[in-house]
Amino acid sequence: MTKILVVDDAAFMRLMLKTILSKNGYEIVGEAENGQDAVEKYRALSPDLVTMDITMPVMEGVEAVRQIKLIDPEAKIIMCSAMGQQTMVVESLQAGARDFIVKPFQEERVLESIRKAIGA
Amino acid sequence: MQKYDGATDLLNSAIESIKHVFSRPMQVEAPHLFEQTLIQSDIGVLVGIVGDMEGRLIIEGEGRIFSNLSQSMYGMPLEGEMLHSFVGEMANMIAGNTSTLLSNRGRHIDITPPTVMVGKLQMYGFSRGIRVTVHLEAIGPVNTILLLQA
Repeated sequence: MTKILVVDDAAFMRLMLKTILSKNGYEIVGEAENGQDAVEKYRALSPDLVTMDITMPVMEGVEAVRQIKLIDPEAKIIMCSAMGQQTMVVESLQAGARDFIVKPFQEERVLESIRKAIGA
Repeated sequence: MQKYDGATDLLNSAIESIKHVFSRPMQVEAPHLFEQTLIQSDIGVLVGIVGDMEGRLIIEGEGRIFSNLSQSMYGMPLEGEMLHSFVGEMANMIAGNTSTLLSNRGRHIDITPPTVMVGKLQMYGFSRGIRVTVHLEAIGPVNTILLLQA
Protein backbone atom coordinates (compact mmCIF):
# COMPACT_ATOMS: atom_id res chain seq x y z
CA MET A 1 0.00 0.00 0.00
CA THR A 2 1.36 3.42 -0.98
CA LYS A 3 2.34 5.43 2.10
CA ILE A 4 1.51 9.14 1.99
CA LEU A 5 2.53 12.08 4.19
CA VAL A 6 -0.04 14.92 4.12
CA VAL A 7 1.33 18.43 4.75
CA ASP A 8 -1.00 21.40 5.24
CA ASP A 9 -1.35 23.97 8.02
CA ALA A 10 -5.16 23.67 7.89
CA ALA A 11 -6.55 20.73 9.87
CA PHE A 12 -9.62 20.82 7.65
CA MET A 13 -7.59 20.38 4.47
CA ARG A 14 -5.58 17.52 6.03
CA LEU A 15 -8.90 15.88 6.95
CA MET A 16 -10.19 16.28 3.38
CA LEU A 17 -7.05 14.85 1.83
CA LYS A 18 -6.88 11.98 4.33
CA THR A 19 -10.53 11.11 3.63
CA ILE A 20 -10.02 11.11 -0.16
CA LEU A 21 -6.79 9.13 -0.02
CA SER A 22 -7.90 6.57 2.59
CA LYS A 23 -11.09 5.65 0.76
CA ASN A 24 -9.06 5.13 -2.41
CA GLY A 25 -6.69 2.63 -0.83
CA TYR A 26 -3.75 4.80 0.22
CA GLU A 27 -2.18 4.64 3.67
CA ILE A 28 -1.71 7.94 5.50
CA VAL A 29 1.50 7.40 7.47
CA GLY A 30 1.63 10.89 8.91
CA GLU A 31 0.59 14.50 8.68
CA ALA A 32 2.49 17.75 9.20
CA GLU A 33 1.27 21.30 9.71
CA ASN A 34 4.32 23.22 8.48
CA GLY A 35 7.37 22.71 6.29
CA GLN A 36 9.79 22.03 9.12
CA ASP A 37 7.49 19.41 10.60
CA ALA A 38 7.22 17.88 7.10
CA VAL A 39 10.99 17.56 6.71
CA GLU A 40 11.32 15.88 10.11
CA LYS A 41 8.43 13.51 9.42
CA TYR A 42 9.79 12.65 5.97
CA ARG A 43 13.07 11.64 7.58
CA ALA A 44 11.31 9.57 10.26
CA LEU A 45 8.55 7.95 8.16
CA SER A 46 10.06 7.57 4.64
CA PRO A 47 6.70 7.95 2.84
CA ASP A 48 6.27 6.96 -0.82
CA LEU A 49 4.68 10.30 -1.60
CA VAL A 50 4.05 13.72 -0.01
CA THR A 51 1.21 16.20 -0.64
CA MET A 52 2.60 19.66 0.18
CA ASP A 53 0.86 22.98 0.82
CA ILE A 54 2.86 26.18 0.14
CA THR A 55 1.65 29.00 2.40
CA MET A 56 2.42 27.71 5.89
CA PRO A 57 3.97 29.18 9.05
CA VAL A 58 7.49 28.29 10.31
CA MET A 59 8.68 26.99 6.92
CA GLU A 60 6.77 27.33 3.64
CA GLY A 61 6.23 24.42 1.29
CA VAL A 62 8.71 25.13 -1.51
CA GLU A 63 11.59 25.35 0.96
CA ALA A 64 10.40 22.09 2.54
CA VAL A 65 10.54 20.46 -0.91
CA ARG A 66 14.16 21.60 -1.32
CA GLN A 67 15.12 20.19 2.08
CA ILE A 68 13.34 16.89 1.51
CA LYS A 69 15.08 16.51 -1.86
CA LEU A 70 18.42 16.93 -0.05
CA ILE A 71 17.46 14.00 2.20
CA ASP A 72 16.04 11.92 -0.68
CA PRO A 73 16.62 13.10 -4.27
CA GLU A 74 14.00 10.57 -5.44
CA ALA A 75 11.26 11.93 -3.14
CA LYS A 76 7.85 12.18 -4.85
CA ILE A 77 6.13 15.41 -3.83
CA ILE A 78 2.92 16.92 -5.17
CA MET A 79 2.20 20.56 -4.39
CA CYS A 80 -1.35 21.35 -3.30
CA SER A 81 -1.82 25.10 -3.00
CA ALA A 82 -4.25 27.96 -3.52
CA MET A 83 -1.36 30.00 -4.98
CA GLY A 84 -1.50 28.89 -8.61
CA GLN A 85 0.43 31.64 -10.37
CA GLN A 86 2.99 30.57 -12.94
CA THR A 87 6.00 31.71 -10.93
CA MET A 88 4.90 29.59 -7.98
CA VAL A 89 4.36 26.53 -10.18
CA VAL A 90 7.76 26.96 -11.86
CA GLU A 91 9.53 27.50 -8.52
CA SER A 92 7.91 24.36 -7.10
CA LEU A 93 8.81 22.20 -10.07
CA GLN A 94 12.39 23.56 -10.06
CA ALA A 95 12.62 22.65 -6.36
CA GLY A 96 11.72 19.09 -7.31
CA ALA A 97 7.93 18.75 -7.04
CA ARG A 98 6.33 16.28 -9.50
CA ASP A 99 3.03 18.13 -9.99
CA PHE A 100 1.06 21.17 -8.87
CA ILE A 101 -2.62 21.04 -7.89
CA VAL A 102 -4.50 24.30 -7.36
CA LYS A 103 -7.07 24.49 -4.55
CA PRO A 104 -9.99 24.12 -4.56
CA PHE A 105 -9.40 20.75 -6.22
CA GLN A 106 -11.50 17.93 -7.54
CA GLU A 107 -10.96 14.50 -5.96
CA GLU A 108 -10.13 12.90 -9.31
CA ARG A 109 -7.44 15.51 -10.01
CA VAL A 110 -5.64 14.52 -6.79
CA LEU A 111 -5.92 10.78 -7.50
CA GLU A 112 -4.74 11.20 -11.09
CA SER A 113 -1.69 13.15 -9.94
CA ILE A 114 -0.77 10.54 -7.33
CA ARG A 115 -1.19 7.63 -9.77
CA LYS A 116 1.06 9.43 -12.25
CA ALA A 117 3.72 10.20 -9.63
CA ILE A 118 3.95 6.66 -8.31
CA GLY A 119 3.72 5.13 -11.78
CA ALA A 120 0.55 3.16 -11.03
CA MET B 1 9.11 53.42 -5.51
CA GLN B 2 5.41 54.27 -5.41
CA LYS B 3 3.08 51.39 -4.60
CA TYR B 4 0.45 50.34 -7.09
CA ASP B 5 -2.87 51.63 -5.73
CA GLY B 6 -5.23 49.03 -7.11
CA ALA B 7 -7.86 48.56 -4.38
CA THR B 8 -10.60 48.17 -6.98
CA ASP B 9 -8.56 45.66 -8.94
CA LEU B 10 -7.82 43.73 -5.75
CA LEU B 11 -11.44 43.72 -4.61
CA ASN B 12 -12.75 42.70 -8.04
CA SER B 13 -10.22 39.87 -8.14
CA ALA B 14 -11.30 38.74 -4.67
CA ILE B 15 -14.97 38.67 -5.76
CA GLU B 16 -13.99 36.74 -8.89
CA SER B 17 -12.12 34.27 -6.67
CA ILE B 18 -15.13 33.86 -4.39
CA LYS B 19 -17.24 32.92 -7.40
CA HIS B 20 -14.61 30.34 -8.39
CA VAL B 21 -14.06 28.88 -4.90
CA PHE B 22 -17.75 28.64 -3.97
CA SER B 23 -18.95 27.69 -7.48
CA ARG B 24 -22.60 28.41 -6.77
CA PRO B 25 -25.22 31.02 -7.66
CA MET B 26 -24.74 34.24 -5.70
CA GLN B 27 -25.69 37.88 -5.58
CA VAL B 28 -23.00 40.48 -4.99
CA GLU B 29 -24.02 43.72 -3.26
CA ALA B 30 -22.53 47.10 -4.11
CA PRO B 31 -19.32 47.98 -2.17
CA HIS B 32 -19.78 49.79 1.14
CA LEU B 33 -17.00 52.14 2.25
CA PHE B 34 -16.19 52.64 5.94
CA GLU B 35 -13.45 54.14 8.12
CA GLN B 36 -11.67 53.54 11.43
CA THR B 37 -13.58 50.62 12.97
CA LEU B 38 -14.68 47.20 11.84
CA ILE B 39 -16.96 45.14 14.06
CA GLN B 40 -16.98 41.39 13.65
CA SER B 41 -20.05 39.58 14.95
CA ASP B 42 -19.08 35.89 14.90
CA ILE B 43 -16.24 34.41 12.77
CA GLY B 44 -13.71 36.14 10.54
CA VAL B 45 -10.45 35.29 8.82
CA LEU B 46 -7.70 37.80 8.13
CA VAL B 47 -5.13 37.32 5.36
CA GLY B 48 -2.32 39.86 4.99
CA ILE B 49 -1.45 41.06 1.49
CA VAL B 50 1.93 42.48 0.51
CA GLY B 51 3.54 43.35 -2.79
CA ASP B 52 2.22 45.61 -5.56
CA MET B 53 -0.86 46.15 -3.40
CA GLU B 54 -0.88 46.09 0.39
CA GLY B 55 -3.76 45.56 2.77
CA ARG B 56 -5.71 42.93 4.65
CA LEU B 57 -8.44 40.74 3.26
CA ILE B 58 -11.10 39.56 5.72
CA ILE B 59 -13.81 37.01 5.06
CA GLU B 60 -16.46 37.34 7.77
CA GLY B 61 -19.84 35.92 8.63
CA GLU B 62 -21.92 33.77 10.98
CA GLY B 63 -20.72 30.35 12.08
CA ARG B 64 -23.98 28.67 11.00
CA ILE B 65 -23.54 30.12 7.48
CA PHE B 66 -20.02 28.70 7.23
CA SER B 67 -21.23 25.38 8.61
CA ASN B 68 -23.96 25.30 5.92
CA LEU B 69 -21.28 26.11 3.37
CA SER B 70 -19.05 23.23 4.48
CA GLN B 71 -22.06 20.91 4.24
CA SER B 72 -22.78 22.14 0.74
CA MET B 73 -19.16 22.11 -0.52
CA TYR B 74 -17.78 19.01 1.19
CA GLY B 75 -20.81 17.11 2.48
CA MET B 76 -20.05 17.63 6.14
CA PRO B 77 -21.49 20.19 8.57
CA LEU B 78 -18.57 21.30 10.73
CA GLU B 79 -18.36 22.86 14.16
CA GLY B 80 -15.73 23.92 16.71
CA GLU B 81 -12.06 23.85 15.71
CA MET B 82 -12.67 22.02 12.43
CA LEU B 83 -15.16 24.71 11.38
CA HIS B 84 -12.58 27.39 12.21
CA SER B 85 -9.98 25.52 10.18
CA PHE B 86 -12.41 25.24 7.24
CA VAL B 87 -13.11 28.99 7.33
CA GLY B 88 -9.36 29.71 7.45
CA GLU B 89 -8.69 27.43 4.50
CA MET B 90 -11.57 28.94 2.55
CA ALA B 91 -10.06 32.42 3.01
CA ASN B 92 -6.66 31.03 2.02
CA MET B 93 -8.16 29.68 -1.20
CA ILE B 94 -9.88 32.99 -1.97
CA ALA B 95 -6.69 34.99 -1.29
CA GLY B 96 -4.53 32.49 -3.18
CA ASN B 97 -6.79 32.55 -6.22
CA THR B 98 -6.86 36.35 -6.00
CA SER B 99 -3.07 36.47 -6.16
CA THR B 100 -3.15 34.14 -9.18
CA LEU B 101 -5.69 36.32 -11.02
CA LEU B 102 -3.65 39.46 -10.31
CA SER B 103 -0.47 37.70 -11.40
CA ASN B 104 -2.11 36.92 -14.75
CA ARG B 105 -2.60 40.67 -15.16
CA GLY B 106 0.99 41.49 -14.27
CA ARG B 107 0.39 42.47 -10.63
CA HIS B 108 2.19 40.54 -7.94
CA ILE B 109 1.08 40.06 -4.35
CA ASP B 110 2.01 37.57 -1.65
CA ILE B 111 -0.29 36.43 1.15
CA THR B 112 0.21 35.45 4.79
CA PRO B 113 -1.23 32.30 6.37
CA PRO B 114 -4.81 33.01 7.49
CA THR B 115 -5.57 34.20 11.02
CA VAL B 116 -8.96 32.99 12.26
CA MET B 117 -10.81 35.29 14.68
CA VAL B 118 -13.71 33.93 16.69
CA GLY B 119 -16.35 35.90 18.57
CA LYS B 120 -17.49 39.50 18.64
CA LEU B 121 -14.61 41.95 18.30
CA GLN B 122 -13.63 45.37 17.03
CA MET B 123 -10.70 46.01 14.71
CA TYR B 124 -8.74 49.24 14.43
CA GLY B 125 -5.52 50.24 12.71
CA PHE B 126 -6.56 50.97 9.13
CA SER B 127 -7.43 54.16 7.28
CA ARG B 128 -10.25 52.89 5.11
CA GLY B 129 -12.20 49.75 4.46
CA ILE B 130 -14.40 48.37 1.70
CA ARG B 131 -17.04 45.74 2.43
CA VAL B 132 -18.86 43.69 -0.20
CA THR B 133 -21.59 41.32 0.98
CA VAL B 134 -22.02 38.21 -1.12
CA HIS B 135 -25.34 36.32 -0.78
CA LEU B 136 -24.74 32.64 -1.49
CA GLU B 137 -27.92 30.98 -2.74
CA ALA B 138 -29.47 28.63 -0.16
CA ILE B 139 -26.60 29.38 2.24
CA GLY B 140 -26.68 33.02 3.30
CA PRO B 141 -24.51 36.15 3.37
CA VAL B 142 -20.70 36.27 3.64
CA ASN B 143 -18.80 39.56 3.90
CA THR B 144 -15.63 40.24 1.95
CA ILE B 145 -13.70 43.12 3.49
CA LEU B 146 -10.58 44.88 2.30
CA LEU B 147 -8.70 47.01 4.86
CA LEU B 148 -6.28 49.59 3.45
CA GLN B 149 -3.63 51.75 5.03
CA ALA B 150 -3.56 54.51 2.43
